[in-house]
Amino acid sequence: MNTIFRRIFYLLNRRRFEQELFDDMEFHREMAAQAGNRNFGNTLRLREEARDAWGWTWVDRFGQDLRYSIRMLRQSPGFTAMAVLILALGIGVNVAGFGFFNLMILRPLPIRHPETLLRFQRQSPGNFSDNFSNATVAFYREHSTMLSAVLELNFANLTIEGEAKPLHANFVTANFLSELGAVAAPGRILDPVRDDTPDAEPVVVLSHGYWERQFAADPSVIGRMIRLNGKPVTVVGVASPEFSGLGLESPDVWAPIARQPYFFNYNQALTDFSERGLNVQMWGRLRPGATPRAAEEELASLTSELRRQHPEDIWKDERLPSRPGGYAVGIRHEMYPVFGLVATLGLLILTAACGSLGGLLLARGVAREREIHIRAALGAGRGRLIRQLLTEALVLASVGMFAGVLLGYLVLRGLILWTGLPAWLDPSPDWRVIAFAVSLGLGTAVLFGLMPSLQIARQRHRASILRQFLIGGQVAASCGLLIVAGLLVRALNHAAHANPGFEYQKVISVDPALVGYTPAGARAYFDTLESRLARLSGVESVALVSNPPLGNRWTVMAAEIAGRSIGIHINHVNPAFFDTMRIPFLRGRNLLRGNKGEIAISESLARLQWPGENPVGKQFRLGTEACTVVGVTGSARLVSPEDSDAVEVYRLPDPDLLPSMVALIRTSGPPEGLVHTIESAARVIDPKLFPEVRLMKEAYRGKLQDAEYMAVGVIVLGCVALFLACAGILGLVAYAVAQGTREIGIRMALGARPSDIMAVVFARFLVPILTGSLVGIGGAGALSQILRRVLYGIGNIDPVSYVAAVGVLGGAAALAMLLPARQALRIDPLHSIRHE
Amino acid sequence: MHKKEMPSGALALLILRVLRAGPMHGYAIAQRIHLLSSEVLRVEEGSLYPMLQKMLLKGWASSEWGISETNRKVRFYRISPAGRKQLAAGWSDYGRVHEAIQAVFRGA
Repeated sequence: MNTIFRRIFYLLNRRRFEQELFDDMEFHREMAAQAGNRNFGNTLRLREEARDAWGWTWVDRFGQDLRYSIRMLRQSPGFTAMAVLILALGIGVNVAGFGFFNLMILRPLPIRHPETLLRFQRQSPGNFSDNFSNATVAFYREHSTMLSAVLELNFANLTIEGEAKPLHANFVTANFLSELGAVAAPGRILDPVRDDTPDAEPVVVLSHGYWERQFAADPSVIGRMIRLNGKPVTVVGVASPEFSGLGLESPDVWAPIARQPYFFNYNQALTDFSERGLNVQMWGRLRPGATPRAAEEELASLTSELRRQHPEDIWKDERLPSRPGGYAVGIRHEMYPVFGLVATLGLLILTAACGSLGGLLLARGVAREREIHIRAALGAGRGRLIRQLLTEALVLASVGMFAGVLLGYLVLRGLILWTGLPAWLDPSPDWRVIAFAVSLGLGTAVLFGLMPSLQIARQRHRASILRQFLIGGQVAASCGLLIVAGLLVRALNHAAHANPGFEYQKVISVDPALVGYTPAGARAYFDTLESRLARLSGVESVALVSNPPLGNRWTVMAAEIAGRSIGIHINHVNPAFFDTMRIPFLRGRNLLRGNKGEIAISESLARLQWPGENPVGKQFRLGTEACTVVGVTGSARLVSPEDSDAVEVYRLPDPDLLPSMVALIRTSGPPEGLVHTIESAARVIDPKLFPEVRLMKEAYRGKLQDAEYMAVGVIVLGCVALFLACAGILGLVAYAVAQGTREIGIRMALGARPSDIMAVVFARFLVPILTGSLVGIGGAGALSQILRRVLYGIGNIDPVSYVAAVGVLGGAAALAMLLPARQALRIDPLHSIRHE
Repeated sequence: MHKKEMPSGALALLILRVLRAGPMHGYAIAQRIHLLSSEVLRVEEGSLYPMLQKMLLKGWASSEWGISETNRKVRFYRISPAGRKQLAAGWSDYGRVHEAIQAVFRGA
C-alpha cells in the first residue's frame, strides 16, 4: 500500500526527483572520472532506465503520443472532421437509443425511494388485470404487514365550469403525494390523515402545468373554491413542477379517492368488491427489510382469505405478482423483441461507422507510409508505432464520443419535444449514459484503431482481406437498415390508403365512462342515448362495443393455431355493430340478441382454424367456455390494424360489461358537424358524466402516428447508415487507387482505356459489395420477422422494399466509388512509375 | 569477475548491507562494494541507480541531503527499518540457497 503512495508522491514531485537523480549521477560521474574510470555510457539512457523503477515512464510516452497525435490530426483537418462526424453519428445514435431506454426503463422516476415501490397486478391461471376494486385494496392496506403504505390511483375526467375540454383527474389515496415525496409550491399537498375520510372537505391539488395553463400561475388560487362536475371543491395547493407522479401521463389535478363518489354521485363504489366497484391501480411501499417476495406471499394469503369472504369477486387461485413500481415504464416480456430490434439497429449503425472509419484510417495510412518508414528507420519499435497509432485512434474516439454524447442529448431533447413527453423527463446524460458512451468509444477505438494500426505498423497493409471485410460489413449493415426503413415506409403508406377491413371515415365513438353504474343503469343509459341519437338527422345507426376500434383497450387471448402463436382479439358487440362498422358477413348470420354462447369469427381466424372448411356450426373454445360459430365476418383488425397476425372473435356482451361499453355512431354525411350535437345529447342524459366523443378518422390518424414516428426514426437511421457506408467506400476506393498508382500507371502506359482502368478499380470492390448486400438482405429478412406485427399487413419479405433498398444502396455505392476512381484516370503514367 | 552482471536480488542485498554501516551517497556505495569484495565486484551506474530508485520506491531506504568528501551537496541514502527487515530476510534466503547449492555439489 505504501508503495503506491510513494509512487503517487513521486509522480506529483516528478521534476524534483528527476533533477535529484540527475545530480546524483552527475556526481557519480565526476568522482569516477577523478578516480580515472572513464564511462562512455549514454547518460540520458541510463537516467531513463533508473527512472523506470518508478513505473511512470508510460505517462511520459503517452503524453508524447498524445501531443503528436493532436498535432497530426490538426494537420489534416478534413480527415479529422470526417472521422469525428462518422464517430459522432455512430456513437450519437446509440447514445440516443440507450438514453431513451435509460429514461424509460433504467432510471427511476424522480420520486422518493423509488426502489422500494412495487406495482401490483391481479393474476390467476387464465386471467390478469391491472385493476383492483377500491374495497379490495382497502382490505390489503388494513391487513398487510410487509407494506408500509399502499397507494391507489384512478383516472377520471371531470368538467370544470366554463371549459369545454375535460380535466384529467387522478383520484389517489391521500397518502399518494406525500409517500412519493411531492412538495407543494405553493399551498399544501394532500394530507394522509385529514383528506382520507369519505366526509372530509373536498379538496384538489393542481399540477404545476395546469396551474400555469388554467390559472396563469396565480398564487391566490390557493384556498379558492372551484366547481368540478358542478360540485364545489377547494384548491389547497400546487405540486412542484419536478413531481412526476407514477407514469408518463401527467394529470391536471390530484384529488382524494375517498371523495371520488362526491363528484359522480355514486355511493357504493368505494365498498363494492366486484368489478362494478371503483377500479384502481395499486402500488405498495415495502417496509424496510421486507422483500418483494415476502410481500407477494403475504398478499397471496390475504387474497385467499378475501376469496372466502367474496368468492364471486376474487378469482380462483388469484395471486398478486409485483414488479418494480418506481419507473416510467415497467419492463414487460413483450418489449424484449423491440429492445432487441432497436439494439440491433444501433449496432448496425455502429458497425457501419467503425467500418467506415477503418477505411478512412487505412487510406490515410498510405499517405503516412513515408512518415512511418522514417520513424521505423529512426528506431521506433513496432510496439511503439502501434501504441502511437492507437493513441491517435483514442484521441479521435474521445472527440467523437464527446460529440456523440452531445448529439444523443440533442436528439433525445428533440424527441421529447416532438412527441410531447412530459417535461420532467430529463434527457441530460447521467452516469449510465456516460459509461455507455465511454465504453462504446473505447470499443470503437480498439476496433477501428487496432486493425489498421497493426497493418500499418507491420507495413503489410497491402493485404486486401481486411478491406474486403470492412466494405462487406458496412454494406451489409446499411443494406439491412435500408430494407427495414423501406418496409416501414411501405407499411405506413399501405395503412394510410388501404382498407383496414372496416369503414371509419363516417364513424363517431362516444365513451360515456359509466363508472359506478349498475348493468341495468347502463342499459337504460344506452337505450336512452340510442333513441335520442336515432332521432337526429344524419345518424344512420348506433352500435355498442366493448373494445372500440382503434382504441386503447383490448382483450386478447393467446392461442396456438397450426403452430403459430396468434393473438385472438375478443370483442363484445351488439348486433348493430357489423352494419355500423361496415364489416360484411361472408357466411352464416349475425349474432342474435339473447343467444349466449354464439360467436362470430373473422375470416382470418376461420382460415387458420378450419382451412378449407365451413366453420359455421363448429365449436370453438374461448377459455373454459365452448361457443358455437354462427357467422364468419370479413377480416377487420379493429384494435391493432398494424398486426397482421391478429384475428377476431365477436360475441354479445354480458350485462356486467355494459357500464364499460362504448357507443359507435355511423353518420350518413360528414361526421364533423355532428360531434357537438352528439356530445350534448350524451351529456343531457347524465350531466355528471363527461363522455369522450371522438371522430374515428382522427383515432386512425393517431394510430398511424406511432408508425410514423417509427418510420421516420428508421429512415433517419437508414440515411445515416447509407452516409457512413458511402464515406467508407469512398475512403477505401481512394485508398485502393492511391495504392495502385503504379499499376494503373503501367496499364495506362500500355494503352489501357479509361473504361478499362475503371473496371479494374471497380472489380476489386464488386465481391465485397455483393456479399455485403446478400448478408444485409438475409439479416433484414430475419430482423423484420420481429416487425411483422407492426407492418399493417405488408409481408416482411415485401419485394418492393428489398429491391428499392438494394437499388438505393447500389446507386450510392457506385457514386462513392466513381468519385475517387476518377482520380485514377488523372494519373500521369510516367510520373507514377518514377515516383515509386 | 570484472564487469560481471550481478543478479538484482544480490545487488539489493549488497547495497543494504553496505548502508547498514551508515548513510552513504551513490558513488560511495559503489566504491564500498568494490572495496569490500576485494575489488572483484564492480557496480555500474546503469544498475546502481535503478536499484536505488527501486529501493526508494519499496521504502527500504530513504534519501537525505548531505555534504560529500569533496564538499558538494549530494544525496545520502539511509537504510530504513523495512530495509533492515528485507536485508535479514534476503540474507537468510540467500544462505539457504547457497547451502542447498553446496549440498548438491557435495552430494553429486
